[in-house]
Amino acid sequence: MRDGGESSAAGKAAAIAYRWRVWLLCAGIFAVMGCMAPNFLTARNFADILKGVATNLPAAIGFTIVLLAGQLDLSVGSAMTLGGMLVMGLAPELGWAGAFAVAVAGGVVLGLANGLLVARAKINSFIVTLGAMIIVYNAMAIYCKGGTITTDSFGLSDWFQRPLVGAAPLGAAGAAQWPAWLTLWLTPRNLVPLALLAGASLLLRRTPVGRGFYLLGGNPQAAWYSGLRVDAYVVGAFVLSASLSAVGGSLVAMSEAAGSLKLGENSLMAIVAAAVIGGTSMEGGKGSVIGTAVALVALTALINGLSCLGAGHEVKLMASGLVLALVILYDACWLHVRQRTKGQRKDLLLELKTRGASS
Amino acid sequence: MTQPPPIPAANGRDLASSRLLETLNVLGVYILVAGLFAIGCAVSRQFLTPDNLLNALRSVALMGIVAVGVAFITYSRHYVDLSIPGIMALSGTVAVWALQYGIVASLAAGLAAGLVIGIINGLVVGYLRLNPIIWTLAMMSILSGVIRWAYAGRQIYPDAATAAGRAFLDLYHHAVFGVVPLPLVILPIAAAVGHVVMRHTGYGAALKLTGSNYEVARLSGVHVRGVVAGAFAISALASGVAGIFLTSFNKVGAVYIGEGYDFKTITAVVLGGMTLAGGRGNIAGVLGGVMAIALMSNVMSLVRIGDFTIGQFAQNIVQGAVFILVVGVNSFSRRKAGRDDA
Repeated sequence: MRDGGESSAAGKAAAIAYRWRVWLLCAGIFAVMGCMAPNFLTARNFADILKGVATNLPAAIGFTIVLLAGQLDLSVGSAMTLGGMLVMGLAPELGWAGAFAVAVAGGVVLGLANGLLVARAKINSFIVTLGAMIIVYNAMAIYCKGGTITTDSFGLSDWFQRPLVGAAPLGAAGAAQWPAWLTLWLTPRNLVPLALLAGASLLLRRTPVGRGFYLLGGNPQAAWYSGLRVDAYVVGAFVLSASLSAVGGSLVAMSEAAGSLKLGENSLMAIVAAAVIGGTSMEGGKGSVIGTAVALVALTALINGLSCLGAGHEVKLMASGLVLALVILYDACWLHVRQRTKGQRKDLLLELKTRGASS
Repeated sequence: MTQPPPIPAANGRDLASSRLLETLNVLGVYILVAGLFAIGCAVSRQFLTPDNLLNALRSVALMGIVAVGVAFITYSRHYVDLSIPGIMALSGTVAVWALQYGIVASLAAGLAAGLVIGIINGLVVGYLRLNPIIWTLAMMSILSGVIRWAYAGRQIYPDAATAAGRAFLDLYHHAVFGVVPLPLVILPIAAAVGHVVMRHTGYGAALKLTGSNYEVARLSGVHVRGVVAGAFAISALASGVAGIFLTSFNKVGAVYIGEGYDFKTITAVVLGGMTLAGGRGNIAGVLGGVMAIALMSNVMSLVRIGDFTIGQFAQNIVQGAVFILVVGVNSFSRRKAGRDDA
């Protein structure tokens, strides 16, 4: 991977820093916020950060898979709203399990529609998903009559928020060994998205299907020549994205015992930012869901730290966009420098310079 | 429609037939407009009243001014500027803020604010080659944050007690020659300027080549980066103009001014036959697209069957569906005709 002329120690350090930039960014944000923001380094606050990450993580995984396949899905936020609304609206009639199934099915249908329009009708995915975002959002607004759907039965929402270990009455003896901070984090609400992340990561790294997404995104033509069922993969990516978003949205709604139109409204910006900052290329074929997850943690920690510092709502709104802008600018500059010096032979340049000086 | 440009074409017949196709495309939009007009007359008695038509025309004017700008971005194959609502809000609020220095300073400051954002967008997307959708989405988020932060979430009002404030509030309603509202005068001017720049200047030719094939344009010596940057600056300037008018109409500078304009205008632009593949279409078609979109929402808002009315949400759904459908039909027909491989 090394280009000629990158022999200096500084160049090496820069390359390493570039490679691990998401982790560095995350560590940096935690370090700075830990030093500056009061109450940032507490177990309760970390639990808040994790809750925020868990909210957007499923949709971010889906968005990353679509990006890897070389497409774009702007409808993830609306799909989250769809999941949350359907699960809250149908629960009184179908029960939680039935409502959840319908919500996920709704996501699958949305993903199928997106995917077929992109793969079969060959419409640009930006257009399809922008249209789908608006259609689904407004359909949900009609469904809930512009308001919020709430429930009176808090049993399920309590279960989602309750720590799995420590607070369990049966394991009272063993629970003492668990540190308090850990019990705060190990709630089903946090663990389900984490399990999804592990599953998606394994799928993408270890299975032929997962590698297919990378192949497709890296070079669609080559993927087609090598016998990959290109259309099926595109549709699959959109179905995964929309259904994961719907799962994420319904998890949030079930744990908060309320589904609102605002659910996925601000999520799109954070999800796009997390995926791009996490190193997933807009051209497709490059990136990982782990990178997205780390970037999401970094972003959420940043926003959380800002509110610990007393920053207002508007700064939080701005933060995702600002960080995204800075990171992609940094990326662009890095690429620019690399392209300029690629294949350059520094020894020859040096020789030219010394000769020019002596003559 | 337009006279052929005075460049010697290698194959005159090809050029003529492509012009003909384009003209037919534009004609199609105007047929749609006429159809919507007829439907409007049929469904509601309120449609053909001067008040309603003037309302529809005013929304055409604002959307049209923005769309003429967006057309340049779409023409250059960079899809759309998603930060348009932010630019409109920024221009409006800055203009209201600058009213203390007089109406001229206010307008200049508002336009300059829009232009500055456009230049930043242009530098980043044009020169650094960042993905336009991602960058402008980030820009939108930053702008909405900045506006909220600058005014601490409050809205700012032009002061009607001062002469400048009154002039600003009058801007939208001002009737030139006593009849025509000012936005309706600005729109034809903007459209004419846009048309001339796009069709009869060196910049327009460079833009067409850049939009048709970026790499070929670059290799032929077109200054592609600057050309793309210019398109973003033009679009932002147009959005700034519309933002000031919209602020004058709403009598308030606020962050939500211009919400939805990004989607509405890109729908109008593609409806008018300007494809996302770049380098095709013209301003006349874009104006047709704007009229169709404006008439569609106007007609939908007038439909009343008993108690049943089509609400804002349902209107948005229809617009979203039309948007996908139009792009789909457009790309399908071009693929059938062998004009696009995409």
